[in-house]
Amino acid sequence: MAVIPPAGPMGTSQNPSGSKSDLLATIPRSSDQSSGGQSKRKQDGLKTLELENEFKAKHFGVMGVLAWILLLHVAGIYLFTKGFLLTRMVLENKSSCDVLPFEDILAQPHTTALGSKQQKGCWHEKTFDKAVVIIIDALRYDFTVPFAPKGESDTVHLFHNNIPVLYETAVQNPANAFLLPFIADPPTTTLNRLKGLTTGTLPTFLEAGSNFAGTAIDEDNLVAQLHSAGKNLVHLGDDTWQALFPGYFDTNLTHAYDSFNVWDLHTVDNGVTEHIFPLLQPENSKKWDVIFGHYLGVDHAGHRYGPNHAAMASKLQEMDRVIRDIIAALDDKTLLVVMGDHGMDIKGDHGGESDDEVEAALWMYSKRGIFGRTSKDTLLPPQFARDRFVPQIDLVPTLSLLLGMPIPFNNLGSPIEEAFAGASGNNWANLATVNRLAAAQVKRYQHQYALARGAGDDEESALLWNAAEEEWKFASKGFSSKSTAARASNELFRKYQRHTLDICRALWARFDVPSMIQGVVILFASIVLLIIYARGLNTDRTQLTSDLLQFASVGAGVGAVAGSAFGLTGLTEMSMVDGAVLLAAAGSILGAAPAIIKKPANMTPPLPNGMWGWLAFFFTVSQSLGFASNSYTIWEDEILLFFLTTFGVCAGVSSMRQKQTTDRVLGVYHSVLFVILGRIASFSRLCREEQMPFCRSTYYASSTSSTSAPWQLAIPFLVTLFLPSVVRSFYAGSKSYEGAASLWIGFAFRFGLFVTSLFWILEGADDGEWLPVSEETLKFVRVFLAQFVLVLAFAAGTAAYFYSKPCISINVSKPTEDPSSPPAPIVAGQQQGPRTKVTILGFGNIYGTHFCFLLINFALAIILMQKPMGQGAIALLLWQILSLLEILDTNSLTKSNSSIGPVILGVLGSFYYFKTGHQATLSSIQWETAFIPLTTIQYPWSPLLVILNTFGAQILAAIAVPLTVLWKRPLQTHDRVPASNPNKNPATRILSDVVQAAGTHIIYLATINLATTMWAGHLRRHLMLYRIFSPRFMMGSVVLAVVDVVLMVFAVGGVRWSTLSVAEIFGW
Amino acid sequence: MPQDTSSIPGASSSTPQAPVEKPSAPPVNILPSPIARIYSIAHPALLLGLGATRFEALVADPTKELLSTLPWLTLVQIFYVIVCLPPAGSTPSPETSTSAPADGKSSPRSSGPVGAARHGKHGKRKQHANSWACIWSRSLPAFLSLSLTFALATPVLTILLVLFGAPLTTHNSETVLCAAHMAVLSATALIYAHGVDRAVWNEVWGIARPADAVWGSALGTGLGAWFGAIPIPLDWDRPWQAFPITILVGAYIGYALGSLISRTPFVYGKRVKFTSEDLSDTEKKTN
Repeated sequence: MAVIPPAGPMGTSQNPSGSKSDLLATIPRSSDQSSGGQSKRKQDGLKTLELENEFKAKHFGVMGVLAWILLLHVAGIYLFTKGFLLTRMVLENKSSCDVLPFEDILAQPHTTALGSKQQKGCWHEKTFDKAVVIIIDALRYDFTVPFAPKGESDTVHLFHNNIPVLYETAVQNPANAFLLPFIADPPTTTLNRLKGLTTGTLPTFLEAGSNFAGTAIDEDNLVAQLHSAGKNLVHLGDDTWQALFPGYFDTNLTHAYDSFNVWDLHTVDNGVTEHIFPLLQPENSKKWDVIFGHYLGVDHAGHRYGPNHAAMASKLQEMDRVIRDIIAALDDKTLLVVMGDHGMDIKGDHGGESDDEVEAALWMYSKRGIFGRTSKDTLLPPQFARDRFVPQIDLVPTLSLLLGMPIPFNNLGSPIEEAFAGASGNNWANLATVNRLAAAQVKRYQHQYALARGAGDDEESALLWNAAEEEWKFASKGFSSKSTAARASNELFRKYQRHTLDICRALWARFDVPSMIQGVVILFASIVLLIIYARGLNTDRTQLTSDLLQFASVGAGVGAVAGSAFGLTGLTEMSMVDGAVLLAAAGSILGAAPAIIKKPANMTPPLPNGMWGWLAFFFTVSQSLGFASNSYTIWEDEILLFFLTTFGVCAGVSSMRQKQTTDRVLGVYHSVLFVILGRIASFSRLCREEQMPFCRSTYYASSTSSTSAPWQLAIPFLVTLFLPSVVRSFYAGSKSYEGAASLWIGFAFRFGLFVTSLFWILEGADDGEWLPVSEETLKFVRVFLAQFVLVLAFAAGTAAYFYSKPCISINVSKPTEDPSSPPAPIVAGQQQGPRTKVTILGFGNIYGTHFCFLLINFALAIILMQKPMGQGAIALLLWQILSLLEILDTNSLTKSNSSIGPVILGVLGSFYYFKTGHQATLSSIQWETAFIPLTTIQYPWSPLLVILNTFGAQILAAIAVPLTVLWKRPLQTHDRVPASNPNKNPATRILSDVVQAAGTHIIYLATINLATTMWAGHLRRHLMLYRIFSPRFMMGSVVLAVVDVVLMVFAVGGVRWSTLSVAEIFGW
Repeated sequence: MPQDTSSIPGASSSTPQAPVEKPSAPPVNILPSPIARIYSIAHPALLLGLGATRFEALVADPTKELLSTLPWLTLVQIFYVIVCLPPAGSTPSPETSTSAPADGKSSPRSSGPVGAARHGKHGKRKQHANSWACIWSRSLPAFLSLSLTFALATPVLTILLVLFGAPLTTHNSETVLCAAHMAVLSATALIYAHGVDRAVWNEVWGIARPADAVWGSALGTGLGAWFGAIPIPLDWDRPWQAFPITILVGAYIGYALGSLISRTPFVYGKRVKFTSEDLSDTEKKTN
């Protein structure tokens, strides 16, 4: 970092002219006026107390206003989300063994005694008595088949060809085994997948919300059916099963393990392996009927390292051995099922609906040789997952019928052909029978569901059903053409099932449009109010606070009562909570509106002003419009770079127009710096699937990894070396590297960064197994280091921020010293008579440098929470923020409260969100960072840590928002304000400016949020809804809420202490 | 609207310290000869037309096409500046002083008495135009402008393109050639008409030049290229969405529009304002 050219005597020049002599009176040490008497001093003291109390009260008021805005946003998002996230009615009906799913049930010939049914199988003759169901979490299909290049440049990766047992058996003994791609319905999280794999129904989005709460399944499902049939069930592995099926498993034989510690690749797997093999011994075979074993190692290896890593290869090889051993121990009566519940994306994460995430593998094996293929084309397992696949819900009817269970009531899946076609592959009668059963159950479910929602049955499916029944009857009567008729009937039943599945998919994509519109209206109205509040008032905003909050809360109260009343009396269809939320939000908006626009004289049209205002407007609006296009949503990171460079160029141009040479040189220098830093940061990328092939990920060692490359471990050290010096140069520019600054920035900050670097070196050592130290020791040391950094940043840092003096140095000297030395320190004041010269260094940026401590504290904590590449990005962000502040200052934009500063901070926050290895997709959340300073999941810390990692850039940018008006702000005390307004407390002016900047920042994010919300709602039938628009909407909402909180609590909240700290020295 | 130009960060290297105080150069007029006046209007149209005919070849192989058309573009531009523009330094000062008051708020003028006066001079000029000396006096600035365009403007624009997000590790020839085309479009006339006049270039970096055909086309090139970047991310899967085709198309269109619009009486001589008038007057920074 080149040192910024000294900008002249900062302190003096920033004062209003003629204030030099006034300053003296406010400096306690130099005010040598004891003759003035005690009374004056007392008066001053009283006045000071009064001003201080006024400031504190108004500060709380301003935070209250921000809290109100936060509540409005939450209400709007809640209402929209409720209507937008899909919901599905849960039917309580259960299938039972002795009631076949047909309407003409009495016509069925083989109604026999219940007991024999249990023996032979309920609806269909059972094929197996027992089953071992192994789930290898995140077993992607291409792991299991021999590598087949997708393109010319495709080469074998570490995850290929390491678990060949599935493919081998399916090819060598097709009657004993088959292997198929197994497509999951998103969201591809384990909990949702287990629901789908046991109930046979489709997940809807609302259930995704309960992912981490882990509620028990109350729908009919395979596990419950097995349990009620008296089977003894054993579960081993991932403890999600325990949350979903409490009390269903044999307590003595079951062993569950914590599933969230992704750092741990082996505990769960070793536990499963340890307990499963004894059960497979012949002497134990009577103890159980079905074993569910859930391995997590592959999934954790993916999360931690990414698929293309040696750890993944060895994990897959381990799984290969386990399966071979199980095959060896298996008896004839037992079915073995191995499957993945979902896949993983190219860096090992999952949750979304990209191809790699949904493409799992399914393999079934039996020693009896009952599996068949109906055609030669299907003899080999398909090369690619999309060639010939089965949906995951198909497992439920297949397994149910194979084990002689009734098909669970809600099932929408179809029996898998290979399992019922017979060894020679032509048992069409059996296929038609099972498909008729499944179709009948689907029909029964459909009928019940239609009744529950008060709608009729679908006509087209009724036609299909009837046609299939005709064929079926024909097939059961006729003898010669039995096979063809059965085949035709089988096909029609299958068609019926798939048709119903499509209907259900469409049905459950049913949105509550009125609720969505209510949410959008609330969000829109809150933006309008905020625009008027932040950009359309030319008065002191703190004066509005009390009226605003009173009116708003009265309105909210009335609205809440009215809404609840409506809900209770049943006048509307809304529930009580929704009605209360809606009317409370609307009431508070209606109440607050007159409080804000009370005096038209105070209003100015909130239109963009000058080039900067229009630029801010343009960035906000054009980005918002862009979210209507999936392309601009996908390429958001590039577009943000384009905007930032545009801003930098405009700043350079504007700087060239400055009249003062120092302003011009500094402005141009920082503009160039700003643009170059942004471009450097843009090299840190994590590509989303849709950006391929035009994007190359650099965030991790490779595009298929989630660990850092060894060279990237140098980045934390570079940050340690340079970042404190960079910050220092910005302090030195206004001669503010004084007082606590040198200790905190030069030592504490640097030390914290150094410890962070050590942490990541140890992390790398653990990943790469470089050190001959046990993993536990490494983990212990790492956790200690990380906690130390967090304590330094938040505990010590906050204390330093609260209690440190402003970054100035005051010297009192006799005038004999040479007063005309060229780099003249700031001459703050001169007294008459025998003059004492008071020199104050760092006077020119007295508010900004103190508040900047807060920024540095957060930067330290956020840097710790990022992967090495992200640390470089956050360091560049801090540098760019400081550079931005200098640009604002040299272009006179801090004093005019221009909207461009807070808006560019918003753009910077969004830009660096992408540069810290994130994308607007669920799978890019770096869950494992929750374990940086912790060994286990701990609430509420783990979610907070993930938030600090995910939204670190936006948080840092939000913390910097007050600096857009505080940076190099001239000192204002009550005896130095213009005489026209003597009763005015200048500290409230600061508050007003700060809340204006905060409001502007929120306007930017709220507009983005509103746009993504509206587009997601508008494009709710778009093909890319769940891949692109919906994740972006969720990201926008969460960012808005997080930034609202950060702005209110930390940024605006923190202004209190920097103002108090300055006032303590210079008075009020 | 954001103002964007092709050449700002270059300012850092060549920023002079002296404040701009002397009255800056007035807007440049097209030479009064009928050929100049007609061709100056035909030129943008001609460029657009030629560009349109080469569009398909450009989409097919950008590098080859850009390289092969660059000499022709340069020739056309040189012809344009020699025929239509007064060379740097030789601008007859009396004309500018009479027709362009130095405060930069000159009223649009293209007709009326001034026009009549030009006709008088026009006759004299015609005699000069025939002489070899006159051609030589224009060739030298033209040569200067060419060399500076390639030696300075092209690298500056290349850097700017990269800063705006052009790929750094791939597509290098495309980036450089795109910058070269933009430089020939924008910088040739600027350098030919103004030379290396520091005051003028200060105004150029500050986008503070009064509107005229030269400045309008340069600014138009930059703005057009900026807008040209917009369709690139869209998923229309059209071959012309590849970098740098849309940027160049935008630059050419911007050049033509800027060149023509800036000559209209409504725009001529006006300057881009960044801040509203009152703001810049009342809040002059004392720092």
